[in-house]
Amino acid sequence: MAPKMNGFGIMPEDTRICVVMVGLPARGKSYIAQKAQRYLNWLSIPAETFNVGNYRRHDAPHPSADFFDTNNVEGERKRRAAAEAAVSDMLKWFKSGGVVGILDATNSTKERRKWVLERVASEGIEVLFVESKCDNEELIMANIRDVKTTSPDYVGQDPEKAAQDFRERIRHYEKVYKSINEDGDEDHLTYLKIMNVGKKVFINRIQNYLQSRIVYFLMNLHIRPRSVWLSRHGESALNLEGRIGGDAELSHRGEEYARKLPELVRESVGSDRPLTVWTSTLKRTIATARHLPKHYNQLQWKALDELDAGVCDGMTYQEIADQYPEDFQARDEDKYNYRYRGGESYRDVVIRLEPIIMELERSEDILIISHQAVIRCIYAYFMQKTQEESPWVPVPLHTLMKLTPRAYGTELQTYRANIKAVSTWRGKGSTAKHEDPVPEGGI
Amino acid sequence: MDTLLTAEIAANAPRYRRKSSTFIDGIHDVSDNQGKLAPAQLYSTMSGRLFHSGRIAIVMVGLPARGKTHISVSMGRYLSWLGVKTRIFHLGDYRRATVPGGHVPEDYFYPNASPASMMLRQKILKKCREDIYAWLNHENGQVAIYDAVNPTRSGRIALAKEFAKHDVQTLFIESYVDDQEILKENARNVKISSPDFHGMDPDEAASLYLKRIETKIPVFETMEEENLNFVKMINAGQAFYYNNVSFNYLFHRIVFYLTNLHIKSRTTFFVRAGPATDEDSYKADAPLSEEGMAYAEKMTETLLRHREQERQASIAQGGPDVPLRPLTVWTSTRLRTMQTAEPLKRMGFKVRQRSQMSQINPGVCEKLSERAIRALYPEEVKKHELDPYHHRYPRAESYHDLAVRLEPIILELEREQNDLLIIAHESVLRVLYSYLMHCSTMDIPKLKFPRDEIIEIIPAAYQNNAKRIHIPGLDPRTIPGSPEDIRIPVPGDPSANLPPIPGMSSPEPVDVAVPRPPEKIINNAKETVSDKLADED
Repeated sequence: MAPKMNGFGIMPEDTRICVVMVGLPARGKSYIAQKAQRYLNWLSIPAETFNVGNYRRHDAPHPSADFFDTNNVEGERKRRAAAEAAVSDMLKWFKSGGVVGILDATNSTKERRKWVLERVASEGIEVLFVESKCDNEELIMANIRDVKTTSPDYVGQDPEKAAQDFRERIRHYEKVYKSINEDGDEDHLTYLKIMNVGKKVFINRIQNYLQSRIVYFLMNLHIRPRSVWLSRHGESALNLEGRIGGDAELSHRGEEYARKLPELVRESVGSDRPLTVWTSTLKRTIATARHLPKHYNQLQWKALDELDAGVCDGMTYQEIADQYPEDFQARDEDKYNYRYRGGESYRDVVIRLEPIIMELERSEDILIISHQAVIRCIYAYFMQKTQEESPWVPVPLHTLMKLTPRAYGTELQTYRANIKAVSTWRGKGSTAKHEDPVPEGGI
Repeated sequence: MDTLLTAEIAANAPRYRRKSSTFIDGIHDVSDNQGKLAPAQLYSTMSGRLFHSGRIAIVMVGLPARGKTHISVSMGRYLSWLGVKTRIFHLGDYRRATVPGGHVPEDYFYPNASPASMMLRQKILKKCREDIYAWLNHENGQVAIYDAVNPTRSGRIALAKEFAKHDVQTLFIESYVDDQEILKENARNVKISSPDFHGMDPDEAASLYLKRIETKIPVFETMEEENLNFVKMINAGQAFYYNNVSFNYLFHRIVFYLTNLHIKSRTTFFVRAGPATDEDSYKADAPLSEEGMAYAEKMTETLLRHREQERQASIAQGGPDVPLRPLTVWTSTRLRTMQTAEPLKRMGFKVRQRSQMSQINPGVCEKLSERAIRALYPEEVKKHELDPYHHRYPRAESYHDLAVRLEPIILELEREQNDLLIIAHESVLRVLYSYLMHCSTMDIPKLKFPRDEIIEIIPAAYQNNAKRIHIPGLDPRTIPGSPEDIRIPVPGDPSANLPPIPGMSSPEPVDVAVPRPPEKIINNAKETVSDKLADED
């Protein structure tokens, strides 16, 4: 593979796109921006978000609502300066090899959009405007609640006061806000307009494949609050022997975990609302999901099956090291790209998981019961782990993870079943079958 | 094979479709390889349906000359390629099968048609609907594409209700065009072959044709139904409006594909790269040899002459005297493909490199002869012979891997509006050709692209046509077989010179010593559907 190749094989010099967010505050712009960045990074495309608010906070860390009044000359000047700084940093980043830069700001007037377009297009970078438009009060309130508790602007403030101030701020923006092409004179722009979280979508003048790919992904997003739960199957008979792959039954401790899982899930969900359960097509994940409440809908996905270890399927790490020493070493050197003889690499797994990720983005509460490598890839997507890190993430058995996507990142909670299991984690260069991982990032 | 007979059967028995090999575009074939994986299919399921997306009816909406058939066929092609069991139901086929020549009464589309016309319409609709349900219920079909005008709101709402009753989700796709230029271009391209317009100025004929549609189908309501799931494609893909499409993975996939599709006609050419100095090495990335340089020149000359001849021929047949569509060249990032494009680049044609178009990775087979592979990897050879498409030698890529890697190229191919010349390794050409001509996975590894031929794929609404253009005067040593191929043995490959589009009954032996006419049309599938091109549906 050519070194510059990425998931799409689009060479950096081919296409560079600046995604310009548009919309009032509390319309999920930052959420969309960081989701897009996460998705592109996961597919090995260099992407970066430039949040104008972060630049503005240098000068005005905790501004009150009247800072955003268009009649406030000082506020206007500072906000303009922040936008300038963000755009010029972004252009610098493009020069160093960036492919998709995301400008996260309200860009709510025609003048501002014109300015951004001219600035960016003059560097030969394509501009894709992405507007989130929403008039559903409930959704806006949910977003306000989320923002006021997580936004750096309101750190340490009384939540009620913060919410009120934030609504005031929105009102200032509403006075000058123009939706894209509302007046019919922005038809030349390339844009995506998402109305009420994807109920209606309008796209205009998409120029190339990468743009269409981004648009496609964003259309799958929604901003309704939800969580994703991840669990490996319970310990299997092959886990006990330290063998990889196969299609074994659960061990008795694995069975114990399956019985405990409903309780663990209920504790984590905090209510009786049903989840949708996705398992792989292998016995051990289906058996693990067996005792979950009947009103949980269960689906099996072939795409959630464990990484195919090819000829090494059913072997221990020691056996692999003995029989295929070169392979064993090659795998440690570049675990993400290493493909087992007749089997798969982590990169292959990411490709086959793409439909799952899309489906996950579209869905609400989902519990996934799958396998180590697959969970690692999904985990890497939500937690933005690099290709170097993701294949080594420890995902212990008999542990439930709850991931909650938020505007400024994904929240992780872990729930241990306290049922003993072998460790299947293996450190770089080691062949030990029962090793304990170095604790990292909470799991 | 008698193409006229084939056309006759195809036209008169919609449920029966030809079974072709790689002879012509297989998009309308009834697949007989149940359970076989499609070129880019990532996994399979017991039910035969993918992505937990259930059964879907895609219902086309739009007046004639809006590119509906083109959209249906392209979408069917893409979905099948992904492994989704898809079949296209052109209502026009049913009309033709029921009414000789498809000549329906003048009031056929009128809201207040005569009882006889109403009855006829009902009969035709019923037959088509029955076939759709049979496909979804009894043949494990997942997607049925229903290609018809569907002009009225009430009709569409009723249709969605009916499908829902059968547990089928409906997605409407409207092609809406108000740009007069696009309308005229479509009318010129698709309908001008009708004898009614013979000898007429093409612009005039197009206008007349469009006017006739208006009188024939007086009521057409564009889609605004809040509660239906629909995509409105505006002016051939310039803008899109989506209503309620956000609940099904497959819907999104379709929407994504549509975003890249346009309905303007353009041609794709395939050629091999010239021979390189180090023919056998995948890793070396060797430059073109001297013969390779000569090949690049001759190929360029032949291609440009061919394009000009086509233009002249079109003018001679009454076509407009317009300049050729611009030509864009895609190569891989391999040196030999870039160098093969060099003469065109010097002449100012736009050449773009696409890194995904690198040849199939031979893995351990690099530089090995077939005999050596058989001796070293007897087990692998056995597996390979069982499934040459999906099997991969150690460290190698399978054709399936290659197809998945090429998916972005497929979408970009649909997006491209210029004529396109693709210069690539034979393995890449095989996969891209199989997408455009809908070949089965068993055939793909066997397709041959001799160096002395340019393959031209001309898209037509109903099915694509392939032509081979001979490049005269090449050094015979550079032509036969596939010297830069990885020499993975392929079962059932009796002759190294099997052309990608085997000729009529017996392929003409490839004899380089005998000069052939510069252009040779092995198959022009247009004839097989000529009656359809003139039809107004």
